[in-house]
Amino acid sequence: MSWQKIWLVLSREYRYNFRRPSFLFTAFGVPLFSIAAMFLVIHVVTDRETNLDNYQRIGYVDRAGVISADAPNQDGYQPVTDPAVEAPGASASEAEQTAYYDALEAAARQQLVNDQIDAFFVITDLYTLTGQIDLYGIKGPPAALRDNIEDFLRDQIVAQAPDTLPVSTARLHKPVDMTIRDLDSDDKLSTAALIGRMLLPFVFVFLYFMSANTTAQFLMSGVVEEKENRLMEILATSLRPIELLWGKMLGLGALALTQAALWAAGALVIAVLYEGAREFLTGASFQVGDIVLIIGLFVINFLLFSAIMLGIGASSTAEAESRQFAGFMTFIAVLPLALSSLFFMNPDGSLPLFFTFFPLTAATALIMRMGLTSLPNWQIALSLGIQLVSVLAVMWLAAKVFRLGMLMYGKPLTPRTLWQALRAGQKTLTTAQDEAPVRKPRKKRSLFRL
Amino acid sequence: MNASNQAVVVQHVTKRYGNFTAVSDLSFEVQKGEIFSMLGPNGAGKTTTIRMILDILKPDTGSIQVLGGTINEQIKDRIGYLPEERGLYRNVRVVEVLTYLAQLKGLSSGEARQRALELLERVELEENADNKVSELSKGMQQKVQIITAVLHKPELIIIDEPFAGLDPVNTQLIKDLLYEMHEDGTTIIMSTHMMHQIEEMADRLLMLDHGRCVLYGDVQGVREQFASNAVVVEGEGDWAALPGVTAVEPGENGREFVLRLAEGTTPDQVMNAVAVGADYHVRRFELAVPSLNEIFIQVAGNGNNHHHRQS
Repeated sequence: MSWQKIWLVLSREYRYNFRRPSFLFTAFGVPLFSIAAMFLVIHVVTDRETNLDNYQRIGYVDRAGVISADAPNQDGYQPVTDPAVEAPGASASEAEQTAYYDALEAAARQQLVNDQIDAFFVITDLYTLTGQIDLYGIKGPPAALRDNIEDFLRDQIVAQAPDTLPVSTARLHKPVDMTIRDLDSDDKLSTAALIGRMLLPFVFVFLYFMSANTTAQFLMSGVVEEKENRLMEILATSLRPIELLWGKMLGLGALALTQAALWAAGALVIAVLYEGAREFLTGASFQVGDIVLIIGLFVINFLLFSAIMLGIGASSTAEAESRQFAGFMTFIAVLPLALSSLFFMNPDGSLPLFFTFFPLTAATALIMRMGLTSLPNWQIALSLGIQLVSVLAVMWLAAKVFRLGMLMYGKPLTPRTLWQALRAGQKTLTTAQDEAPVRKPRKKRSLFRL
Repeated sequence: MNASNQAVVVQHVTKRYGNFTAVSDLSFEVQKGEIFSMLGPNGAGKTTTIRMILDILKPDTGSIQVLGGTINEQIKDRIGYLPEERGLYRNVRVVEVLTYLAQLKGLSSGEARQRALELLERVELEENADNKVSELSKGMQQKVQIITAVLHKPELIIIDEPFAGLDPVNTQLIKDLLYEMHEDGTTIIMSTHMMHQIEEMADRLLMLDHGRCVLYGDVQGVREQFASNAVVVEGEGDWAALPGVTAVEPGENGREFVLRLAEGTTPDQVMNAVAVGADYHVRRFELAVPSLNEIFIQVAGNGNNHHHRQS
């Protein structure tokens, strides 16, 4: 093999496919889109949920009588009053009390509409039993306001707690201060890190799948283009088919890695910019061995898919036709992601286990399960073994199909023709005019005739 | 003949596809530095023969020597090839395609680019160097494709239908390019249906039919081999009265006559009779040699005639 020619094909495939709009969109668009989405979440959604600038005047109607004058008050929290509504005396009947609070509620509504207050809440009669609070605002009140009201009422309860409680009032205020720790390192894990620990393998698999699948499809369309444009014959006299094959696979493998690197860079930018994202990423519990395994799986799976796509490209006559086959393969490969809920519910269930040992889904299933369960070594070894054997078999077959089908213009290489050619030991099939093997048409048999 | 003088030696080569024999016991040689033409009707086995010479296909039996040895990757780099069914990367700039394909043949990047630009200028496409291939007309693409076959200065060029799709001006441009390479000692094998191009350009020819060689030799020799005992004259006189002339037929252009000669009568005898006859005025006198087109139709049209004729 000439490594110089492999390098030439590799660099050509890399440069040509790097400039494809679809690659540029996937490689740069996905990180940019993620950063934009993050920006949107942090600066628009989060701001909306945490910003209380528009909620400075909060009224309340205390039907349950739990608000104590002794309790610390929240700034801007005031009982709703109305000069037209007179407070009932201490001896007022229940009906008079109810009428009074109804009138206050009606006044609060009017004040809200008149922009005299920003929101108001009603502590219902049954609050002490049910905790029921009704909150009113012109727009949906932000989460921070809800939290503030909760704190406000907690303060009221704490203020009224008897001194004989076995815990301090501080515990009443905040009964639990929980720290979640990593089993191995004993490090503190934030909520974001915990979510990251579970979701990161899925995110990784998704990005990996996008990367491998995009580039493998480039490989396929490149082969189809060279066949459609009749360039293959010129290439066949310039280098060995195996050199062409390796050049293409390595070139597009490098492109897949570039894509992954660009995404990783995007993730780093997001992590630098946002604390939450940084915590999410620190949730990764991968050890060095896991990372080596993931890289190994990436390489094996890329070789498997690119060999399949190469075979499809070499045996097809047009891009549209090859895309149909490729779509079917992609559908199978994407099944673990599509059925990820099964992995969440029971990562050791029969279907996740089947996906772990099925060559087309093994890599993705293995990585997905890594984040959810403790994988036995025998399962990793068996899955890897199956993938290695599969990739070698598929690459051998792809090389044969590539060589056999590269000069088949306008005529697909059917499994039957392939089988016959392999049995006959043929290396290259052609569709040169009148040179194709002439076969007698098979007689049609009728089921109703003996 | 000394083996070192032969660019291609094909010996008893047979190639079958299932029950179909594409090439049958074919033997021929191509001398270094000559323009050798392969012709034959569709399906005669020309493409298969070319593909076997280039090691794209393996012969079932027989042997092929190219540029002094059994073909290998180093020898392939010394060959330029333009197949009948051809194309280029469509969304790539012309100079990039040419540079890439020349690099695959062993040229350095700089050398390939420089030579590509030179040849583009030679075929009047220098302004299209940075255009995408898809932006070129069919004729322009044809010229670029021919450049791919000659860019790396090969010792042997195998070119299938070099003039298909070209107008007369561009045909002459490519012809001049091929002549130039021929003068530099490059061996050219061309497969074409354009008989007048073979008559004009080729030193020798090989005609295939049903996978077999039906004609092989130098172009003039083949034409003379098919010549009937007749002469073509243009002028005035009583041609039928000449001794040994059995029939007088009007010629193709309306001014000439074909004189059929009796067995044993030679054209020289007729010319002497004309020279001494006072009533004859001759502007042209030549052997009635058929054109290659007539020979092609005669040989290829007779499907059952599989005998091998060599001049």
